[in-house]
Amino acid sequence: MGETVGNLIGLNDEVIHPAATLAVEAHNSPSKQFLVKKIKIRHDLSSVVVLAFSGSMLPEDWFGQPPFGETEIDTGKFPSLTSLNDGGDAVVNGSFLRRFNDVLDKLSHAKELKAAIEKKKQVVFAGYSSGGPIAILATLYFLENQTLSPRCLTFGSPLVGDRIFGHALRREGWSDYFTHFVMKYDIIPRIMLSPSSTEHKQILNYFKSKFDKKNINPAPPSGFYHTVMGNASSVASYEACHLMGCRNPSLDIIKSFIKLSPYRPSGTYVFCTGNGNLVVVKNPNAVLQILIHCAELGESNTAEVEKRSLDEHSAYLSELKECLGMQAVVSLDGGPATATLNDLGLSPQAMLCLQAAEEFENRRSRNLEKIRKYLEKIEVELQMLRKYKENAQISRLGYYDSFKLQNEDDDFHANVSRLELAGIWDEIKEMLKEFELPDDFENKPEIIDLGTEYRRLVEPLDIANFYRHSKDKETGAYVIGGGPRPKRYRFIQRWLEHREKKPFGSRSESLFWAGVEQLGIDIKKKKNLQEIKDRIRQLERNMIAWIDVDKSLDKDVLLEKTTFVKWWRDLPRECNSESERIEKLIGEKAAGV
Amino acid sequence: MSQAPLFSSAGELANLVVNSNLIDVAWANIPEIQIDPAAFPCSVEPMVDYSPTPNRTIVVFASSPNCTQYPLREGGDLVQSSLFQFLCPNECSSVSINKAALYLFTSLESQLHGLKTKLSEREGQLIITGHSLGGSVAALFTLYLLDSMDKKSKCRPICITFGSPLIGDFGLQHSQWNSFFLHVVSNKDPVPGLFLPSRRSPPTSSHSQTSVYKPFGTYLLCSEHGCACFDDPDLILKILTVASSEVSGELQVVDYGELLRKLKNKAIWKGPQLAGERSGNPFSDGIVMELKTIGIDTAKHNIDISEMEKEARSLTKNTKASEAKKLNNIKKAMAQLEWYKKKAEDEKKGYYDCFRNEEKTRHVKVQGLMAELTTYWEDMVAEAERKPQKEGKSFRTGWLFAGTTYRRMVEPLDIADFYKGGDGRDYINSKRSQHYKLLEQWYKEAAKPPTREDLDSKKKKVSVLLTEDSCFWAHVEEAILSCQSLTNANSTTEQRESSWGNLVMFGEYVMEQIENCAVSPEIFLSGSSFMTWWGEYKAYIHNFRNFYSSRLVEYMKRGSYNQYG
Repeated sequence: MGETVGNLIGLNDEVIHPAATLAVEAHNSPSKQFLVKKIKIRHDLSSVVVLAFSGSMLPEDWFGQPPFGETEIDTGKFPSLTSLNDGGDAVVNGSFLRRFNDVLDKLSHAKELKAAIEKKKQVVFAGYSSGGPIAILATLYFLENQTLSPRCLTFGSPLVGDRIFGHALRREGWSDYFTHFVMKYDIIPRIMLSPSSTEHKQILNYFKSKFDKKNINPAPPSGFYHTVMGNASSVASYEACHLMGCRNPSLDIIKSFIKLSPYRPSGTYVFCTGNGNLVVVKNPNAVLQILIHCAELGESNTAEVEKRSLDEHSAYLSELKECLGMQAVVSLDGGPATATLNDLGLSPQAMLCLQAAEEFENRRSRNLEKIRKYLEKIEVELQMLRKYKENAQISRLGYYDSFKLQNEDDDFHANVSRLELAGIWDEIKEMLKEFELPDDFENKPEIIDLGTEYRRLVEPLDIANFYRHSKDKETGAYVIGGGPRPKRYRFIQRWLEHREKKPFGSRSESLFWAGVEQLGIDIKKKKNLQEIKDRIRQLERNMIAWIDVDKSLDKDVLLEKTTFVKWWRDLPRECNSESERIEKLIGEKAAGV
Repeated sequence: MSQAPLFSSAGELANLVVNSNLIDVAWANIPEIQIDPAAFPCSVEPMVDYSPTPNRTIVVFASSPNCTQYPLREGGDLVQSSLFQFLCPNECSSVSINKAALYLFTSLESQLHGLKTKLSEREGQLIITGHSLGGSVAALFTLYLLDSMDKKSKCRPICITFGSPLIGDFGLQHSQWNSFFLHVVSNKDPVPGLFLPSRRSPPTSSHSQTSVYKPFGTYLLCSEHGCACFDDPDLILKILTVASSEVSGELQVVDYGELLRKLKNKAIWKGPQLAGERSGNPFSDGIVMELKTIGIDTAKHNIDISEMEKEARSLTKNTKASEAKKLNNIKKAMAQLEWYKKKAEDEKKGYYDCFRNEEKTRHVKVQGLMAELTTYWEDMVAEAERKPQKEGKSFRTGWLFAGTTYRRMVEPLDIADFYKGGDGRDYINSKRSQHYKLLEQWYKEAAKPPTREDLDSKKKKVSVLLTEDSCFWAHVEEAILSCQSLTNANSTTEQRESSWGNLVMFGEYVMEQIENCAVSPEIFLSGSSFMTWWGEYKAYIHNFRNFYSSRLVEYMKRGSYNQYG
């Protein structure tokens, strides 16, 4: 203990309350899209620029298409918000995204923001209630553009994105930039876990008339708590089943019959317990469980809790004023400590869920350790294959063709290495698909580098094996969308493309041989000649770029006896576009060996 | 290393089910129907609602109120049913169904047959439901439907029963099918426990079976205080037994609608605060709480939690990642074996004879590979065998091709081991492992008869083919034994005659294989057992039956085999 919220979230404590004040003010000033304020830090005389966004309580600004109003995110604006394996793009609330797009133009031209970027000042995007999602998306937008690294503070914000959204944030290492303050019973941070309903509209209407100040004391709706919390509770239970490793096969069938909210929390959550204490939680699974379980009904009656769930949405300023002064802050990460959770009033079942959430993280760390042990093994096998590749130059056949022939003992050993490596990378691939490795695994430089080397060295062998057994007759060409190409290579290629911010499919040098083989087959089949010519030219251009520019393709493809050189020499001349350059490269290679 | 903590998710799964509208929808659609006095003591009637919401169909098996009251005690017998024979993986075993449910189902059969055809054309969600005996018939109908649906079907069924008695003696626990069943049972409802061994009245007819009922699928077990989902059949039996011993003898009707409303309310309550009972083991803490909410005291009712934990732990070992690795290990072992085969051909012996006469070191290595592969495939075959016929078949088709390659590759080595000592006789009938027999049988069922073109393309690449009949070498060994018996001075005339007959048959068999391009050319390598046999056979014919000829003898004498492959 003894830490302040600021310490735990990496932001000066003096910023939080003024930011919250500005956020509430901005929310209730719908005529301006955002408000800006400079906040001076007393002890080092620096200053922080806070931008807070306005909100809206109109139902159409919360829920578009029922039941959940979700939409795939625009990966043009947010290229990182996607899964690098088969998980697809992140899903966000469409209404919030639209509101962000409405404000974006004005935001990127804001002079206060430009000045802050110039003077390298810390920028904080803040939002209260429905201003929160805009602050979150704005922060992400600038993180993607790398123009500045802003912080995001929200107060009583509804949920914005799905599981992939949170996963991508953690993968990019951005999760810590987001801090969300949530009161113990506030209904708004839970509302997105339930499908849009008349109860939602009642809640929004209530707040609308309250914030509009036309009606100081509007009549609060009632009867919504069971609907919202019941639905939220199924989401929490569904996730708990996964965390607890549910082995009942009916789970998947039951899930296919019910539609659960796609939204999940991401970033750091600070729970205000209502008695002056703050609980800081980073584990996203734990956040979800606390979000639901701490608002469960206890001794007090439903009507009382229902009223509280509305009142607390407008109580952030007073609550924060009280607790930010104190140092009664508890971080939950590193294990749920029973005593500190008493303030949240969690049941024994909720404690088990938290324990499962923690164990899930531990399991991911253990899996990472397991993979780290594999890395040495991968290195040993790659070393063998490098040697194999080098030796294969002597015969002027190159290792692709040696391997395809499978005549020598060395070819056989290379095949065993290939299968050994496939086993390891397939295991990694399956773990990633099930989220069984830490979220930042696919962004670790040493993993991407090793994977890329594996892909460039070994995928040609997989291609050789594929065409050696004429598998194209059974499955079609090696490279077709969702075709026989092993997924492990697709994923590893994607990691590199993502790191280099290149379009999907642009780093396909390891597919060189598949292109050659398939062209050979298609020429024999006398397919559309013009199309074949185009493909040959494309292959030549790619090849030269890979060999000359980024050196991602080894020159041994130019050895005299390779499938490539033999095939290329047989081509009718009018097909070539780069014949001189390639002829020269072949000549150089022949002279060099 | 200390083991990772384990959890029980029975409570969370139950909470998910109760909070979703799925079971409310099912229950709300179940009406009571008037009894048809001419029928069985009670009656059941299927009713279909084709579009309560888009993409959803509901089939309700409505039952008359007296289903719950009158006939069940007498209808508790299990009777064999050929109608549900498909639940058994193979023809030899049989399946028994509750007499009352089967009677009702059979009386509706023609109607249900039409319904089945209609439903299998539909897309989207299909909820099949019923209360009490209506639920039993719903479950039987769901099984009947699952058997007729194929993988491509766009219709996803779920069967939800309320307070239904146990249905039959089949387990289904190793089948995907059990995941389609959700049985809602209140601890105040005596009907689900009616056919438990302790409560069953003595069989009413001499035809009844002595075997016992087995639950299958997931049970949502409920009390006033909460609910939990379990799918372990032994535990479910135990819970049903406890519950049925505690309900009063008089049959009362449970209002599941009311019960569900209460449970829904409970779901967002903090639940019971069990102070001071936590052991720190999340699995046992969890399960004690879960059982307690449905009225089971683990200590009092003698439930072995550590045994349950052990079983749950064994289930966690098979993850998709470990499966992927296992599959690649198998591929690796096959690659090594293929290489061994290639090397053996270079030695002009063929891998059958190489292995048969192998010196120790290499032999041991190959045996290690064989053992690894055999264990894997025995498991796969055993798993396919546990499933209902239809499901087992679709499970098999994915790997039958690889399994056939395995059989053709590894069984010859088993045969070599068997005959190598000189004492082996009649491998096919005395030693052949069951999993080879099944792999061959399944392959034959799945294989299409080859066309002319298939044969032509086969001729072109015969050199890389594996010998198709994995027992080919066993036939060769038997032929060698027959030759020996013919030339053995101690053989009786009968023995000689039978041996000669065998050799004539063997000759026809081999010729047929050659004509179909079904043998690998390696059998003609100079050091192979087949060529050894030919040497002995040729000598015998030359000495004793000089005028005998057959197509194979001509083929071999002419040396046509040099052009094979």
